[in-house]
Amino acid sequence: MKNKTLPIFKAIVTDFLFWFYVVGCGRYLVYQWFEVHLNFNYHIAVSLFLTLLFFIIGDSIGKKFFVGSKKLNGKWYFHFWGLFIVLGLIVTFVVGWNVVEVKPVKFFTKFINAKNIVSGILDPNFDIFIPMLSALAETIFLALLATFFAIPFAFVLSFFAARNLMPKTILGNTVYIVIRTIATFFRSVEAVVWAIIFSVWVGIGPFAGMLALMIHSVAALTKLYSEQIENIDSGQIEAIKATGANQLQVWIYAVIPQIISPYLAFTIYRWDINVRMATIVGFVGGGGIGLALLQQQQLLRWHNVGLIIWLIAATVWIMDMFSAKIRNKLLKTQ
Amino acid sequence: MKEILSIKGLHKIYNGGTHALKGINLSVNEGEFLILLGLSGSGKSTLLRCINRLIEPSSGEISFAGKNVIRAKGTELRHIRRRIGMIFQQFNLIKNLSVLTNVLTGRLGYISFSQSLFLGANQEDKEKALKNLKRVGLLEFQKKKVMNLSGGQQQRVAIARALMQEPNLILADEPVASLDPATADSVMKYLGDLNKNDNITVICSLHFLSLARKYGTRVIALKDGKIVFDGKPAEIDEKKFKEIYGEEAEEVEIR
Repeated sequence: MKNKTLPIFKAIVTDFLFWFYVVGCGRYLVYQWFEVHLNFNYHIAVSLFLTLLFFIIGDSIGKKFFVGSKKLNGKWYFHFWGLFIVLGLIVTFVVGWNVVEVKPVKFFTKFINAKNIVSGILDPNFDIFIPMLSALAETIFLALLATFFAIPFAFVLSFFAARNLMPKTILGNTVYIVIRTIATFFRSVEAVVWAIIFSVWVGIGPFAGMLALMIHSVAALTKLYSEQIENIDSGQIEAIKATGANQLQVWIYAVIPQIISPYLAFTIYRWDINVRMATIVGFVGGGGIGLALLQQQQLLRWHNVGLIIWLIAATVWIMDMFSAKIRNKLLKTQ
Repeated sequence: MKEILSIKGLHKIYNGGTHALKGINLSVNEGEFLILLGLSGSGKSTLLRCINRLIEPSSGEISFAGKNVIRAKGTELRHIRRRIGMIFQQFNLIKNLSVLTNVLTGRLGYISFSQSLFLGANQEDKEKALKNLKRVGLLEFQKKKVMNLSGGQQQRVAIARALMQEPNLILADEPVASLDPATADSVMKYLGDLNKNDNITVICSLHFLSLARKYGTRVIALKDGKIVFDGKPAEIDEKKFKEIYGEEAEEVEIR
């Protein structure tokens, strides 16, 4: 006899959350369309009522996925749970449409508003080519330094974030999990957010942008590097261990030779990404071409904006092409 | 005859629950060329890897040259390992490094960490490496990258690497299973030569009875983690062969 309380509990919670969401969506739409504000107590009460009603009837989403029974099998459209899922999707779409303020008519009739920027792109102002080139150089150097400074940190961390290298002890597992979690967290915070933090910290300018990209790169490279380590040939590690080598010697002679080319490839790829991100980071105070773009846009100098857009596009295109070529070469010699 | 390796009541149960070795008792004398026979999954690889603790045994006793292998830790374990050379089916050389550097990695157990950063700086080791490369007939390949070598050549580099350890014992885990028959025999010849002329004890797992008869001085057969035969190569007749490999098996001849 298996424990049946937990699945039933899970099912009820799932059903309640589902109804709470659906009723909430309904409440939002009623407010949007009829400007009638419904009391929150009704919201709870109706959700609870629907949860219990369909739980007693015995056909609900929670029952289907956590408790399950023969009665609930078969085609989805013969069951309440299937219809409820469709209902959930429909209200999500309708509410989404309202929240995002989708207005297709505007898209097709108000093109005239974009006239300025389009004419700027079609007729860029080459007089500012040289100063903008130096702003672009700032961005590229910023990305390069961010990548460069990220390498040693990511390199060391990646060894501790590789499952196959960490000993299967409590300490080894803890280190592995802590480093992986921190890396995931730092990566999930966008570089733009880091740039805002650092532009407050060290002041607006390329240094703040570099720090933002560096943090992000350390996290991303740690993940990429450590996955590379996890894919290495364990036979070579065995062979070096068998010679009586210590752990450090095993890393130097069995691990590093296997990862050096892919590491380089990933690093170049990262630089490529950093150049792209550096322009965005410039927008929020990271300096470089991004900052110039923002300034020119705010001054409504659309022909200057046009030139900057062309410069960014050309740089990204060239970086992309070269980094792909170099990466292919490096990975082929594997 | 001096005993070099003694195994008593060795068990290995993997985390998944597989009982790979079920009470192995084995005594190997110095100078023997011991062949391990048995189907894939019979426990040959596990047994070989338990001897130098690349795999941790679950229970039992192993002693090598009078030293307790099971209890050894850290430096002591590494000092045991450096006297035991190992050769693998997939060669397990460091593919991006040169032949000479690969051979020199055989010295890692003897040198300090700082020395190991400059492999080949030590003249004595380098001469030893060149001598061993010459012995396996690959002197002119010393600067080549390992990945540009053929399978047979790679296995000979692996033998040279094992020789750098100045081993008393060489464990060979199906050293010729990835090679064509002619190359297989030439690799076995090198192992036979080390056994005869350098008095290095060899434990070698194989699938070919003909090679076992040609090079082995003693044969052990494993089946489901137990020793089912222990004797001279010549004692394996068709009946014994079928006991080891099952009724369906036919002996395949390789020369």
